[in-house]
Amino acid sequence: MGNFMELVRNENMKIYSRLRTWIMMGIMLVIMLAASIVVLSIGEGVKSMWTVLLNEVMAGTSLVTIFTVIVAADSVAGEFSSGTIKLLLIRPWSRSKVLLSKYISLLQFAIFFLAVLFVWTYLWNGIFFGFSSGSMQELTTEQATGSVWGYVLSGLGLQYVSMVLTTITISFLLSTVFRSGGLSIGLSLFLMFMSDTLAGLMSLIDKPWKDYFWFMQSNLTQYLNNASDVTHDHTIMFSLAVLIVYYIVFMFITWWQFTRRDITS
Amino acid sequence: MSEPIVQLSNVTKRIGNRTIIDHLTLDLHPGEVYGFLGPNGSGKTTTIRMMVGLMKLTEGQITIKGHSIADNFEKAIRQVGAIVENPEMYKYMSGYKNLIHYARMVPGITRQRIDEVVKLVGLQGRIHDKVKTYSLGMRQRLGVAQAIMHKPSLLILDEPTNGLDPVGIRELRDYLRHLAKSEGITVFVSSHLLSEMELMCDRVAIIQNGKLIDERVILQDGPAKDAVGRYRFEVDRPAEALELLAQHSAVVTKDGIELDTDRETAAWINAQLVSAGLKVYGFRTHVKSLEEQFLEVTGGETVG
Repeated sequence: MGNFMELVRNENMKIYSRLRTWIMMGIMLVIMLAASIVVLSIGEGVKSMWTVLLNEVMAGTSLVTIFTVIVAADSVAGEFSSGTIKLLLIRPWSRSKVLLSKYISLLQFAIFFLAVLFVWTYLWNGIFFGFSSGSMQELTTEQATGSVWGYVLSGLGLQYVSMVLTTITISFLLSTVFRSGGLSIGLSLFLMFMSDTLAGLMSLIDKPWKDYFWFMQSNLTQYLNNASDVTHDHTIMFSLAVLIVYYIVFMFITWWQFTRRDITS
Repeated sequence: MSEPIVQLSNVTKRIGNRTIIDHLTLDLHPGEVYGFLGPNGSGKTTTIRMMVGLMKLTEGQITIKGHSIADNFEKAIRQVGAIVENPEMYKYMSGYKNLIHYARMVPGITRQRIDEVVKLVGLQGRIHDKVKTYSLGMRQRLGVAQAIMHKPSLLILDEPTNGLDPVGIRELRDYLRHLAKSEGITVFVSSHLLSEMELMCDRVAIIQNGKLIDERVILQDGPAKDAVGRYRFEVDRPAEALELLAQHSAVVTKDGIELDTDRETAAWINAQLVSAGLKVYGFRTHVKSLEEQFLEVTGGETVG
């Protein structure tokens, strides 16, 4: 029955009809532009636009993560607190499909913001520091080879995968379980910021099981520095495997909670 | 009577060890306006939530056009348009965008159909304004629009007259009766406003503490000619009248007598009283309002 993409269109309409979304976009654009201006006016020894861009993009992804957490936390919980869930779920669509459409709209939201982030920083840094193809040496180490574009884009890609597998999904889970936007935003951001601290603490423990926590493996960009002097305890496949196991568990709880529980709001 | 379009059989809902709905069985027929009455907390909204699949049934079965709401949700719900409690919409979007949102979820709803329902509920002037600027009555109208947009066979409305002014209530009532009579849609309305239900419904069910305690037909064209009613005769000497009507079980009231009888007999009694030399100042039927009947069957309890 019907076209599933229409459901995704609906979710997108709800996200982009809100002023909130455009304020978040504005904040991101202003911060990135301001950072470039500061570097332009007081920075010394800027080798090319790419060094500035890389730093801005990496900082920007944290911002995009926070914004996606906010949207994700509100995605299900918002429907409950406004009561609109009752009208949403009495359509000829199963609850699973409604939930999936919400999830897809969140993944699209994060991609959209990351794309805007990249294009925006590319444009301004190009204008300020001159468009150049850059070289890997200035971005990483002297021995590094390969394409700058490939390096930056795969960095963005890894950040996206890590964001999707952990923070966004946790936020979506909390939104569904608690049905409260405030609580899920708060908890997700807390977990997001604590994960670095927790990872730092856990690394002091000399036990093999410490590697099986998601926050120990969520920093996928560490595998990006393909230079020889960086050593890893694990391969990217190991990190991904750990994250995917958590992901499946998180998604299952979310789906199970959303499809089973009575709607009493 | 025609095949029921909606069947609730032995519907039971338990939460913990509290029984909220207790073996409720109802049949709704095409084209009827069915009232669902009960005091606050009697289980009206819970029943509606189960009918639209928002809550699971503990026991029993609900079918809509033969499709079980539990096992064949998508097919069953396709036949249903509903407002559950308040018509809550996305406040940050316009009324029109809200309708587009719901229209996309059912195949085959055209822009023309949306414009048609907007006109029908009288929101043309404000449909492109954000819902947060709407009054409760306008939200109620928008709620009705989203419920009828996909031409359902069953329309479920939970307290639909909430927030409407008298003109709005009248319009809604006329519109619902029109939908039922000319398009054959079954309308299921819950309310605690008895006088409203009396004017709107063909049949009403009364529930209390989750149990069906009464179901009755309401005659929209007034009582039938041979219906037995309570007749009240205003006479000058009630005691004599009582004597005269010994074979009828009449009782004395403060300004006359009262008894159950039909129209023809009432006229005959009048003639008897007059020819016996009593002064009859007037006589009239007293039809019990639904409210009186309701209080009678629920024992005047408000919260179960």
